[in-house]
Amino acid sequence: MQKRFPLNKIVGYLFVIASALIMLVPFLTTVFNSLKTYKQYMQFPPEWLPNPAQWSNYTTVWEQANFSSYTINSLIVAILSVIGALLSSSMIAFAFARLRFPFRDTLFMIVLGTMMIPGIVTIVPQFIIFKNLGLLDTLAPLWILEWLGQPFAIFLMRQAFLNIPKDYEEAAKLDGCNPFQIYWRVFLPMCKPSLATLAVFTFMGKWNEILAPVIYLISDENFTLPIGILSLSGQYKTEDQLLVAGALISLIPILIVFLFAEKYFVEGSKTSGLK
Amino acid sequence: MKKKRFLSVLGLIGLAAALLISGCSSQSSTQQGDKVELYMGYSSDPPTKKKMEEIIAKFEQSHPHIKIKTMTAPYDDFYQKLTTQIAAGNAPDLWQSDGTKVFGYAQRGAILDITDYVTKEISKDELNGLEFNKDSEGKYWGVPQGIQVGALFYNKDLFDKAGVPYPTADWTWDDLKAASVKLTLDANGKNADDPAFDKKSVKQYGFAFFGSSRGAFNILKAYGGGVLDPTLTKSIINSPENKKAVEWMVDGMQRKLFPNPADLKAFQSNFKAFLSGAVAMQIDIYAATTSMNGAGLNYDVAPMPKGPDGKRFAPVIANSWVINKKAEEEKVKAAKEWITYWTTSDEAQKEWTEVGEAIPVKKSVANSEMFLNPATKPENKKVFLDTLEFAGTIDTNAVFTEWVKVFTDNLAELFMDKYGTDEFITKTDQGIQKVLDDFFKKQ
Repeated sequence: MQKRFPLNKIVGYLFVIASALIMLVPFLTTVFNSLKTYKQYMQFPPEWLPNPAQWSNYTTVWEQANFSSYTINSLIVAILSVIGALLSSSMIAFAFARLRFPFRDTLFMIVLGTMMIPGIVTIVPQFIIFKNLGLLDTLAPLWILEWLGQPFAIFLMRQAFLNIPKDYEEAAKLDGCNPFQIYWRVFLPMCKPSLATLAVFTFMGKWNEILAPVIYLISDENFTLPIGILSLSGQYKTEDQLLVAGALISLIPILIVFLFAEKYFVEGSKTSGLK
Repeated sequence: MKKKRFLSVLGLIGLAAALLISGCSSQSSTQQGDKVELYMGYSSDPPTKKKMEEIIAKFEQSHPHIKIKTMTAPYDDFYQKLTTQIAAGNAPDLWQSDGTKVFGYAQRGAILDITDYVTKEISKDELNGLEFNKDSEGKYWGVPQGIQVGALFYNKDLFDKAGVPYPTADWTWDDLKAASVKLTLDANGKNADDPAFDKKSVKQYGFAFFGSSRGAFNILKAYGGGVLDPTLTKSIINSPENKKAVEWMVDGMQRKLFPNPADLKAFQSNFKAFLSGAVAMQIDIYAATTSMNGAGLNYDVAPMPKGPDGKRFAPVIANSWVINKKAEEEKVKAAKEWITYWTTSDEAQKEWTEVGEAIPVKKSVANSEMFLNPATKPENKKVFLDTLEFAGTIDTNAVFTEWVKVFTDNLAELFMDKYGTDEFITKTDQGIQKVLDDFFKKQ
């Protein structure tokens, strides 16, 4: 006699369901908060459920702020950054992982070393460079750096390339591939999970970035979503429920990207390309 | 060399994309024909931004030789951006500065000394708050854009429920505490006078204060003490008057008549305590009326209470227009035209008053029915204008943010019973003096 639901499984499921509910509560609170009036939002002790639900908060946010152009700008920045990060960092990482050239390891240490510098220190010099390039109040400063390689991305991709056995490289060489072809045809396709991880990281990072847009963007029509939403808050009065509604709207694209990349995420936890 | 070619093609694509995106909106030259392009900065939210744009449009109509380009962001981001821009030499020609930051910009050489313009072209008798931007050497650094002044806000519903008469202009801080006793309720609805009052479950407090402009600073001043001497370079915390004031505050905290910093944390935001109706009285500035009206509170304002010797103090913050020290001559001229328009045009003043963020700087508009309108809350708006008579700045100087931090951090520890009044006074005195010396002695 085999039990269909052994006790430990039931306990396991209960545990998972309970923790899922716990995770869900803050999110539901956020959703409910976005549907309250200012008066209800300010109530203490707080009421959980909005009464009545103010669906108009969403239309108000959309109308008060230039949401469609914020979304387009954010998409431009995020997509260009992802393309840039995938291409440049994987290429640099390939060189560090697979090619032999003088001072290779020293250079790699320097690249890693730059990760130790807090980003905020470089803001003013960067600002001056972009100013002299005439790129202030454009989206370029927000994505162009990704095209020049980012240390974390390089590190991540280098690890992925290092894990691929040398046999693949030698076989490709015998077939007459030059280093670029090896990188493009053999190594890149085998590292899809790492690429997907990098793509999601970059996308999320750029999608939520606040400091750089605040500093480089001046005109409202160039704003990205996070600062577009922030621009709803005032010095003296902030309609918090609208901020929350705006934040929820901006969540949708991230969810979509994650759903698309999820397959590769799961694959990433298996061995990459090795049988 | 296929790889090299590929790389250069890739580089070109990147470059082309960069040009494509930047090309459309690259910064145009400063002058178009005979027009002066004035670059102006101000912090905003959607309603204030809309209003400001309308006022700018009207200004451009009556001043066809000036075109205004704006830089705006929410309060915090605005100053972050401005700091970077000043460091990079790219700041607006003219910006609206928080009143507490004007001397900071002045003493760090970022803004223009406009004493000449103020004394010759601005009529002092017609403007509120001009003197608050004058430094101890008599130099003017800004012209008020909107005035904030503090008063005692009280929740009428809570007073009615407790059967306590509303605050009057004769109140002393001790009267306020006596009223707080009746207005402080525990979970069972017992007030602080009741022997069965449970200090651990207070659900309604009599009075809340926090921060600097809404907090202890005003009480110290009313008791005859204060934080800095008139030169704003020396701490005067260590005085018997201050000690008395601090003891008055600690007593209220310990009896739970006032929420301590931890109690306030439970409300998520310091402001929420009064806004949600869990606190009966609070010191706040005029701008708070917009959120209180939004929250549908039944409230009014009274003048700040008097100290033991009849002395009164209320904080004032004169948010001001300041001009970039590096601005070109013609832009400085245009900036002054804008400031003149802002301070003298009834139209601009009334438009700005409608937003409800600040007391109008032009006296005639501030005293008009339009501002004093009794149909909107608070009914007693005249209190704000009367308060201007005895109000003063909150000792803003170049290191305002730094010394306020020492002051409020130490106060928080005092209110949480980390140490006693005497230790608070010595510790704060030394801490603030160090901040001041670090800046002023090095100059």
